[in-house]
Amino acid sequence: MAAGTGQVHERGDAFVEVRELRKVFDGITAVDGVSFTIQRGEIFGLLGPNGAGKTTTIRMMATTLPVTSGDVIVAGHSVHDDPAAVRRHIGVCPQELALYPELSALDNLMFFGLMGGLTRAEARSRAMENLELVGLADRARHRVAKFSGGMKRRVNLAIALMSRPELLFLDEPTVGVDPQSRNHIFTTIEGLRDGGMTVLYTTHYMEEADRLCDRVAIMDAGRIVALDTPHNLKARLGDPEKVTLEDVFLHLTGRRLRDEG
Amino acid sequence: MGHEDTRGDMRECGAVATGGRAVPARGGVGVRPLVVAGKELKTYLLDVQALFFSLALPLLLVGLMVAAFGGQDEFHATAYVVNLDRGEVGADLVARLDAAPGIEVELLDEGTAARRLDRSQILCAIVIPPGFSDDVKAGRPPELIIRRRGTGGREGQIVVSYALGLTREVAGEHLVAGRVTEVLAGMGRPAARETVDARVAALFAEARAEPPVEVVEEAVGARAEPVAIYLPGLVSMFALFSLTLVSVGIVEERKKGTLERLMTTRLTRGELLTGMWLGSIGRGLLQILFLLGVAWPIFRIFTPASFARVVAFSALVVVSAAGIGLVIAALARTAEQANWIAVFFTMVMTTLGGSFFDVSGARGVLGVASRLTYNFWANDGLRRLIARGETLASPAVLTDMAVLAGIAVVSWAVAAAFFRVRADER
Repeated sequence: MAAGTGQVHERGDAFVEVRELRKVFDGITAVDGVSFTIQRGEIFGLLGPNGAGKTTTIRMMATTLPVTSGDVIVAGHSVHDDPAAVRRHIGVCPQELALYPELSALDNLMFFGLMGGLTRAEARSRAMENLELVGLADRARHRVAKFSGGMKRRVNLAIALMSRPELLFLDEPTVGVDPQSRNHIFTTIEGLRDGGMTVLYTTHYMEEADRLCDRVAIMDAGRIVALDTPHNLKARLGDPEKVTLEDVFLHLTGRRLRDEG
Repeated sequence: MGHEDTRGDMRECGAVATGGRAVPARGGVGVRPLVVAGKELKTYLLDVQALFFSLALPLLLVGLMVAAFGGQDEFHATAYVVNLDRGEVGADLVARLDAAPGIEVELLDEGTAARRLDRSQILCAIVIPPGFSDDVKAGRPPELIIRRRGTGGREGQIVVSYALGLTREVAGEHLVAGRVTEVLAGMGRPAARETVDARVAALFAEARAEPPVEVVEEAVGARAEPVAIYLPGLVSMFALFSLTLVSVGIVEERKKGTLERLMTTRLTRGELLTGMWLGSIGRGLLQILFLLGVAWPIFRIFTPASFARVVAFSALVVVSAAGIGLVIAALARTAEQANWIAVFFTMVMTTLGGSFFDVSGARGVLGVASRLTYNFWANDGLRRLIARGETLASPAVLTDMAVLAGIAVVSWAVAAAFFRVRADER
């Protein structure tokens, strides 16, 4: 496995293949020739300081942001050539709480399910299953506006699962939630992976990545600076039992403060 | 909780929600915009605060119209009366005049009346001369003196006409009482004049209370009342204001990320835009129906047929305004921008478009500028339907409808061209 500042190109049972992905905004390069693959059933962590290009990468992979150059292949479909086909395989849990607070949890899930191509009966049944999964079945008919931050995060996640995606994008899904909700989200994600779902996960919490991710890519300034299993990344700095992923992260990206720009 | 433990715990859950095959293509293209529109309407109806204000505003507008125009469609005038008669017949005439619909009596002394007439403070005064009662009771033609400045004014002329009619009525009743007294005496059954007067007066009062003629009022078409002139302006202004403010909500949704998230589903950009457009239209229609529905019983300016015509035309007004709202949502980058554009746009369009004054006959710069506004065509059509009683088949109304439909189509095209689902989209 290649690492360091070089790009990692892998082959095999890759469900996702990111090829020399690049995004330029008004002359500023946000993502600079990123390439990696994600295996089917893998939880792949994408880490990096603010402004590293993680969210931009996810948005291009999720077809909501056009690529400047390069391509992403999901289940054999190109985001550039056939974004509609890609969308049939993905679910996105964005960093923002992208839901409708005025509606109930059930209505939120059903709405996104219907938009994903489910029938009304399927959407209702799947919404209830998903709410059960995230521990909110008893609040199904409650308005999301009345929910705590952690509950909203779980609704946000449950929406992403409505289409039973093969590839799930989780963009900082545990921001601002209490330890109980965070733990519930972890167990949910692990259960999804065990069920065969492929997950791309971004977070600023290194212990989360260490616990959840099979492999981790660390991005900085739009490029991948390291890609390996958490254990191997830690082993680069010393004893993996003593070194933390945060040590690796700071070692690779530096201690300089980063501001989003 | 350890890593292995959690995996074990979730194996059961994993069976519930796992990745697998892609969702098969289902759900018609035509259905998804309707689902989006339904969600928009549901969100609107569940937001109690927004619902209250959006429905309270029409009520407030109707209330203002009632305060401004209430009763002005009925005749109202003051009768300035100088009663120099000391008798009961003169007093009876004053009482009857005061009881006449739309007339209020103000009693003046002779000097005051002369002075106010001299200063043009009043244009007409009715003088009941001394001996008026005696003349009436004696069966002599009574005299009524009308002092007027110029023609006495239109109201004065009407009041005088009323007064003359009531004088004839009073004199006639006393004449009848006199004749009845004479007849009874001729029949050898003499009766006291006071008794006959009282009985005859009672019979006439009964006849006045229950007149033998029943008057049925029917509103035909429309009535050119102030409310019929101003209601169209309020409808178009309200539709525009309300629906352009919808743009604020759309911009906030964009900022929140729900629009971008929807773009990761099967929903296309065109379907999203159409759905939001339909949702706005539904919301606008609800509000306009409420406004017109409240106005109908209060102002009584509609027949069922004219109400249906106005509702049908208003639907097109709403469609057009919803398109403009989408354009604002497409162009504004922040909710604040959308808010200010909506307010500014509404004020300019409302003023130039003749919501407060009729600009249909305006020429020159104002004439051209007014025709460039959505409100002009909306107001023109609604005024023709409400105030002039025209139908949807009227050529002028058809022209208005064609222009509004054109605005809707162009707005939709502009919105589709510039609409962004992400706040940072170029």
